[in-house]
This record gives sequence, structure tokens and C-alpha cells, in this order.
Amino acid sequence: MGIDKLLGPTIEGLERLLDLSWRRGQAINANIANAETPQYRAVDLDFGRELDEAFGSKSSSLEKTSPLHQDIGGSSDAKLVSDLSGATKMDGNNVDLDLQMGRLAYNTLTYTRAAALTQKKLGGLSEKIRQLVA
Amino acid sequence: MFDTMEVLASGLSAARLRVNVLASNVANAETTRTPEGGPYKRKDVVQVAQPVPGSFGAALDGMSLSRPQVQAVIEDQSDPRMVFQPGHPDADENGYVGYPNISVVTTMTDLMSATRLYQANVNALDSAKQMMAAANQISLRG
Repeated sequence: MGIDKLLGPTIEGLERLLDLSWRRGQAINANIANAETPQYRAVDLDFGRELDEAFGSKSSSLEKTSPLHQDIGGSSDAKLVSDLSGATKMDGNNVDLDLQMGRLAYNTLTYTRAAALTQKKLGGLSEKIRQLVA
Repeated sequence: MFDTMEVLASGLSAARLRVNVLASNVANAETTRTPEGGPYKRKDVVQVAQPVPGSFGAALDGMSLSRPQVQAVIEDQSDPRMVFQPGHPDADENGYVGYPNISVVTTMTDLMSATRLYQANVNALDSAKQMMAAANQISLRG
């Protein structure tokens, strides 16, 4: 039995959530750092359907219609996109600092919560192993 | 992993430099004599966004994370504000004294927004640290 079976799909989803929210945090932080840089355009991370897939509601693997097709498992389809939510200022910059700070707070909470849940999950597993061994 | 710290550190450094330059403009708003001759000239920061090499997304769709970088501090080249003050040691032959072209009110508001930006960067750095600490706490001990 593989370790994946022991942990179930939740751990994979949490792992994805940790990765994606970390990267979203990077994008938000870049926006905050550049809030006064002329011509800077805000960016955001588009999760797409990646999270749903990671939590097992859909298969993330592409269907292969030819034996020549390569497996692209492990690659991520989350990508940086333009964030057009803020108004463009006189200097060509469109970062809305308050909006970004709000997103950052939300994103940090998401990340820390996912980390705490991951720890709970792993802790529960190790507790079970301990009981089995004892 | 530490990209984001680097980006925010650049943000802090750029914001601090901006605060320093603005403070120098406020302090010298009435300075009529400088070592270079003439009144003090207003200084402005030229800030550009520098793509962070190797950041995610750079290879895929041409978008990447950028960090702010101050490229230069330039001097305002506009003519000084002439005020009629005969008897002033820096007055010209017509009795006019050249004052720096600085609006203290505008500079003060810029200073406030630069300070606020600095604080925003500090807060963002704090959340990045929180996230790293949360990742560090993932362990097998329940």
C-alpha cells in the first residue's frame, strides 16, 4: 500500500493549496513593493481549476489520444495574469494598495490554515502508526 | 522561495530612499544658496520595475514578478521661483531672490504616502515571515 493511499486525496489538495497560495502571495507582494513604480502593472495568480482537481473532484491528467503523447503530470497550469482591479493612475501604475493589503491578509490566513491542517493530518497519521506499533 | 523577501526588501529600500529625498526637499524648500551655486533644486526619484530573474511564470507567458529599483535621483531643471526681496544677500541686481521650485504642501502629502507605502511593505514582509513560520511548523508531532 502506497503512502498516498494512507493519506488520501486531502494531503495532495493541501499541498497544492500551500503551493498556490505561496505563489499568489509572491504576486501580491510584488504589487505592494511596486505600488509607486511608474508604468508598473499589477499581477495576480490565476489558480484556474487546479485546486478542484487536486482535491480529487476531477482528474488532472490529460487524456492521451496517441501513444506519442507525453505525460505532463506535475506541471502546473496556474499562471500569472494581469490584475485589472485597480484604476490606472496618472503615472501608468494600477496597483490599489488597500485592495492588495486585503488580499494579502486573506492569502496569509489561507496559507497558515492550510499549513495547520497539513500538520493535523500528518500528526493524526503518526498517532495512528504509534498506536499500531505499540 | 526567498524571491518574495527580495522583492519586498527592494520595496522597502525604494520607499526609504523616496522618504529621504522628499524630506530633503521639504527641509530645503527655502534654501537659496548651494555649493553648486543658485538655489536648491528639487530632487525626484526615477523608479523602474525590474523583473526578478528566474521567477515563476517568466518562461511560460512572458509575465514575471518585478522588484522596484531606483535608477537615479534627478534634479528638477525648472527655473527658480523669483521673490522680490531687495537687501537679501542672495538677491540679484533687480532685487529678486531665487527660491527652490518646491510646493511644501505637495511634498508633505507625497511624504505621507511614501511613509504609508513603507509601512505596507513592512506589513507584507511580516506576513511572508508568518507564512514561512507556518510552513516550518508542519511536522509529524501532532
